[in-house]
Amino acid sequence: MSEQVAFQHIEKTSLIGTRIKKPDAPAKAIGKTRYINDMVLPQMLYGKILHAGRTHAEIVSIDTSEAEKLPGVHLVITAQDTPDLKLGFVKDNAPLKDKVRCERDEVAAVAAESEAIAAEALKLIKVTYKDLPPVYTIEDGLKDGAPVIQDRFPDNKSLSFKFTHGDMAAAEQKSDIILDDVFNVHYVTHCCMGTSCAIADFDHNGKLTIYSQTQYPYNYKMDLAPALGIDPGDIRVIQPPTGGSFGAKLDVYPFEPVAAILAQKTGRPVKILFDREEEFINSPTRQPARMHLRTGCTSDGILTFRAADVMMDNGAYTSWGPTVPVIMMRTVSGHYRVPVVDFKGQAVYTNNAYAGSFRGYGNVQMTYATAQHMDMLAEKLAKDHNLDPIEFRLKNAQKSGEVTPQKSFLRECALAECLTTAAEASDYVNKLNKYTAERAQEGRYKRGIGLASSIHNAGGAKIHKSDGCGTILKMDDYARVTVITGASEIGQGIDAVIAQIVAEELGVPTEHVNLVNNDSDLGPWDVGVHASRTTFIAGNGARRAAIKAKKQILAAASKQANVSADELDLRGGFVVQDKDGAVVTKLDKMLRQMHFQPEPDVVMVSDYYEPNSEPEGRDHISDHSAAYSHAVHIAEVLVDTYTGEVKVEKVTMAQDVGRVINRMGLEAQMEGGLAFGLGFALSEEMIFEEGRLKNPSFRDYKLPTAPDMPDLDIHFIESDCAEGPYGAKGIAELPTIVVAPAIANAVYNATGIRFFNPPMTPEKVARAIWEKKQV
Amino acid sequence: MSEIEKYIAPDTVSDAVKALSSGGVTILAGGTDLTPQVDAGRRSHAPTLMNIRRVDDLSGITQNKGETRIGCLTTVSEIKQSDLAPAILRQAADHFASEQIRNAATLGGNICNASPAGDMINPLLVLDASVELASWKEGAMEVRREPISRFFTGPGKTIKHDNELLIAVVFDTPGPDFVGYFRKSGPRPALEISTVSVGIGGDYKDGAFHNVRVAFGAVGPTPLRGKATEAMLEGQALTAEVIDKAARAAQDDATPIDDIRATSWYRTHLIAVFTEELLNNVCQN
Repeated sequence: MSEQVAFQHIEKTSLIGTRIKKPDAPAKAIGKTRYINDMVLPQMLYGKILHAGRTHAEIVSIDTSEAEKLPGVHLVITAQDTPDLKLGFVKDNAPLKDKVRCERDEVAAVAAESEAIAAEALKLIKVTYKDLPPVYTIEDGLKDGAPVIQDRFPDNKSLSFKFTHGDMAAAEQKSDIILDDVFNVHYVTHCCMGTSCAIADFDHNGKLTIYSQTQYPYNYKMDLAPALGIDPGDIRVIQPPTGGSFGAKLDVYPFEPVAAILAQKTGRPVKILFDREEEFINSPTRQPARMHLRTGCTSDGILTFRAADVMMDNGAYTSWGPTVPVIMMRTVSGHYRVPVVDFKGQAVYTNNAYAGSFRGYGNVQMTYATAQHMDMLAEKLAKDHNLDPIEFRLKNAQKSGEVTPQKSFLRECALAECLTTAAEASDYVNKLNKYTAERAQEGRYKRGIGLASSIHNAGGAKIHKSDGCGTILKMDDYARVTVITGASEIGQGIDAVIAQIVAEELGVPTEHVNLVNNDSDLGPWDVGVHASRTTFIAGNGARRAAIKAKKQILAAASKQANVSADELDLRGGFVVQDKDGAVVTKLDKMLRQMHFQPEPDVVMVSDYYEPNSEPEGRDHISDHSAAYSHAVHIAEVLVDTYTGEVKVEKVTMAQDVGRVINRMGLEAQMEGGLAFGLGFALSEEMIFEEGRLKNPSFRDYKLPTAPDMPDLDIHFIESDCAEGPYGAKGIAELPTIVVAPAIANAVYNATGIRFFNPPMTPEKVARAIWEKKQV
Repeated sequence: MSEIEKYIAPDTVSDAVKALSSGGVTILAGGTDLTPQVDAGRRSHAPTLMNIRRVDDLSGITQNKGETRIGCLTTVSEIKQSDLAPAILRQAADHFASEQIRNAATLGGNICNASPAGDMINPLLVLDASVELASWKEGAMEVRREPISRFFTGPGKTIKHDNELLIAVVFDTPGPDFVGYFRKSGPRPALEISTVSVGIGGDYKDGAFHNVRVAFGAVGPTPLRGKATEAMLEGQALTAEVIDKAARAAQDDATPIDDIRATSWYRTHLIAVFTEELLNNVCQN
């Protein structure tokens, strides 16, 4: 064998930028994957939670005696069984409540032999409530003498944020145009196809194993422990395959400690699984926001200032939702150069649902406003000052090397390239002018084109003390690689990316790289799947570990072949000469030789990658991400001006991805991300009446379906990020962020009407068109 | 929890109808409405669950002596694909829910669910169809026919008695001059409950519209015929003026309400839009 290969030469090729199949895709496609929702443990009980179904009330008494008598019921618990257990961002939430503050509030829980028995037991729990005056609006919450939702916050004021930079009065003076508008962004929710689920199991040493859909297993332990009164070290988090998270699982929510408390007290594994209606009512939402935006500009098209006053309905408890100004205050300017910025954000407690983190975190809301203001300015400047709408944006587009007032250092900035690429590919300016002219003509159907852009962190976000990720890499005697990573795979595709990166470095097939993760007892620390960070952070970690392994192998090979390690490379499962690819030896043989010798040299390396970003700090003003990225979307719509139906026919997307790693995964993230933005723009809306959700089903909560998807023309702009793996940047949130205002701008182009209050449902659009005709 | 005490699956119509006579029976056909409604707690099972899907005679579309007959177990997919189904019925089938639901949902089930938004009901009103209701009387099966326009009494309510099985829908096979169109709306193209639906049909010959029938869905407590619109259109040439008047008449016929899916304003607005659109389709036919 070695004689045969001795004459072989292996060319240098690269996997980076190619299409790598997601390893778990076939199993998911044929229904073989066992999701957490499908899991059954021996002796497992089923937990169910009694929700208040009212919005503000004292709990006068709870009688659980009938429920306890029902055969098959093992345990019924209430807040009395769980004193002093807290959870949430400001620890204002509890697993079970002694007072009702919103519709979903968890009042009691049951563990029983079956789901049906648990459901029946809930009906037997008698709760006496004394209703309290409720608060359903920000205004009511701020009134003097308003009912107090949380005793620790007697004025109902929750989190607040502030950022100012520059001389606002002078900037206003300089402005020839000042726009002043209020945007109201509505409630939507994640709609994970796999509903919320947790399975808790205690061993006899008091150690909890929790099977969870969490996106952040390591800090999850820290957040879950105080909700259970145990040490975080006594928690093992296992993340089985999950049907979507998208930010919904970035906090601990009451059902998780409730499952654990039931398990602890019964000594049996306990599973809590929501049905779809429970999922709608009891999951976090996207943070709604009322954004008062002011933008100033000179008559030659130079932005002078931006001011945003953001009021947020906090709901009854504080999860990640009302923290979104951390991102809003950066993205309120940040990709178009705005010298003077004033940002205020205030959240107010009410008896409404509460929000969590959601893909595009704060920026979906902010960009819906800023990108419409940019479009309004572009229109005005084109009309009054003959300035081309792309030229206007290019004039203000930030460039590589600039630092924003919020201290985001734009090392590689490709906004200008995104703008020109998308505009040219879609023939934006010509269509814009054509459709504007056609708007005044007779006809039921109108076309429109709209452009929007934004910036987002693309190299993690250092909101914790570390934004790092650990990696352990080993190779066996057969040249198979095992990568133990802190990065979780929750559907986003890091499994394919890590296999690809490690295969690239070690010259092995991607199928020879095994990934071990999603278990906090096995993997080293990682922040979690959020902030578009995993490919950037865990990808860098995997690459660095692989490079260490490669060095070790080449050092050994160098000794054996008596050539410098620099002159060797790993390709196609062989150690080769770097210059001509001449085979030196087979990689597996090399590894065995390293292993089986008097002083064994086994490949087992580790790495902890910490990005070069700065911690958020108290004021959230720092270079908090190792990279920032920009995207431009241009939406083309057909509006039926009679029915108000908006069909998005095509979206041209240009996004700075740094460098393409797995082209297939990247395209899928673009498509999936866009679908979220599409639903947000046009059809998805949680309808609340007096704090209660009126449409907790897919019949009345309108997720986009396959026929709603537009044609996509995707352009990847490769800015080659110095810090990113092979130059890559994080990519997953921008597709969700940018599309909605692009659609709103296109609808304006078609109809002459601005929609500041999404979603642009057929009824809303038809009504606005009809009202405009009446004037 | 509604407990099912007994499950039966008869092979013949008479066995099925006989089983109904003793009462306490829930009928299962496609299950696409029954299952989610039971799950949501909006209805409960009677002690006996009767699966009628094994009854062969209840499925399929036939034509005989100028009459078309569609068995109650005929699925929406079968109607969508059948040459024997009038075009207006196929259009409604095409806009019905999703492929998977169409494959399971039956015509009889959609009628008996008696939703004001039931998509298959609207074209049947336009076709002036009747339903056949079978019951067991004195040792034999008895069948009565009732016009579908009189079948519905409120949301989820019909004149069908508990001991009756809706076995088929019958209507006069439309003649060569018959033209009919169906239109529904909602915010998305698939899996949509109608915000409103409109169906219009009649004989369009020599530029005039005769035997006109108009039906509306989701604009009142039951699917309904638009009598004022029909009267307005009968025998008329479909000029722009007539079409406009018909659209106004349609708004008088309908009595929509506000709910979370749409306001009464929007439903009334759409009624006029769709009536006009469908009449233009008729002209262009």
